[in-house]
Amino acid sequence: MIQATCTRQLPEYMLDVSLSVAPGETLVIQGESGAGKTSLLECIAGLAAPDCGTIIINQVTVWSSQDRINLSPQERAAGFVFQDTALFPHMSARENVSFAVTAGYRRRHETVPQKKAVAALAQQEFERLGIAHLAHARPRMLSGGERQRLALARALAAQPSVLLLDEPFSALDRKTREEMWRIVRELKTGTRLSLVLVTHDHEEAQVLADRILQIDRGLIHDDA
Amino acid sequence: MNLLDPILLSLRVAGLATVITAVLGLFLAARLNATRSRPGRILAGGLESVILAPMVFPPTMTGYLLLLLLGPNGPVGSLWGASGGLLFSWLAAVIASVVVSLPLMYQSAKTALTSVDPHCIAAARTLGASERRIFWKITVPLAWPGIAGGMALAFARAIGEFGATLMVAGNIPGATQTIPLALYSAVESGNTHAANLLLGITVALSFAIVIVVRWSERRTAASRAHRLAGGGSR
Repeated sequence: MIQATCTRQLPEYMLDVSLSVAPGETLVIQGESGAGKTSLLECIAGLAAPDCGTIIINQVTVWSSQDRINLSPQERAAGFVFQDTALFPHMSARENVSFAVTAGYRRRHETVPQKKAVAALAQQEFERLGIAHLAHARPRMLSGGERQRLALARALAAQPSVLLLDEPFSALDRKTREEMWRIVRELKTGTRLSLVLVTHDHEEAQVLADRILQIDRGLIHDDA
Repeated sequence: MNLLDPILLSLRVAGLATVITAVLGLFLAARLNATRSRPGRILAGGLESVILAPMVFPPTMTGYLLLLLLGPNGPVGSLWGASGGLLFSWLAAVIASVVVSLPLMYQSAKTALTSVDPHCIAAARTLGASERRIFWKITVPLAWPGIAGGMALAFARAIGEFGATLMVAGNIPGATQTIPLALYSAVESGNTHAANLLLGITVALSFAIVIVVRWSERRTAASRAHRLAGGGSR
């Protein structure tokens, strides 16, 4: 669950939003380039700080200007999938996912997981995303769709409490995009993972959203 | 003239100086680069000026400053007692080499660290990885070609160091006489054969270093181009 009320001064205008995402809900935020969509996701994930407001993730206040709370991205457990994937280029696909498994495990248990447990959890994510055959490949050897699947597998491997997707499918061709939509819908089945997807693709919003918000020049205009 | 002693000493001095410089340069570049507050930035700017100063200082001036610092009455030298233990030892040559090569290492490390894709760092943070783990598992490996290039430049600068080394370590055959000092002595005494041999060795070393630097530049440029093109990792 996410509850966010925040303002942040952007170069050209003020981001001023208030939103909530229920457990298991997929909220799609739509808007033109530069509307403030990415800034909003960065504020929720802790990659940027709002000027004012409150952000609550799963009953935990992760940011509050009033109470001077500012949890680090590491403490927020907000998974983030970047448009450009941000995969670690010097690691294989398996190492990318294992890194996330280890980091997520340490965050939850404050101990180092056993290698066997890391390998098993990584394998589970590979199979869930249908990329087990790519485990030894480096990111540069993968297609755009495979890279996005790997980025999704990596984000999920850290077992986040919410998942933020920043236009992850915008650079993919139509066929691959539809495949990714199917994967996201399957992922959602039977989980209470709150998901926020930023996109400017109207069809994508219609296919994946439980609820759609329009954002324009930092302001939420309509909740359809 | 014994040529093996200056060669081995130069390799020992430059090798140790490079290791110290690499650790120090990487640590300083990472710390100063991560400073965000305004007073912190001002302090970082001042410290950076001190680190870079030996690059524009004449080496003999740097040597003289070190002489004042490391001498029996200097703030550092006095810690070693009245014997002036640090001066005119091979360790003094290491210190001189560290001071003159640190700017090159620092600049290279700083450039290498800032060229790392910030989205990779951000992604690692959202996964929950600690800052230390991110530094060693993500930042350093991605910045490695630039760091290696900086180490090669630092080694080259250390092995060619003359002025500052002469001031603090002297030119004692078998004890503090490095390749450049031995070359100077050989030329001064008219020993052309020894001078030519030392020159040949230095040229061979320089070529090896240039190869490493060019490799690191190619790797850094390739990874940057790859990143800007939006392929592979991004």
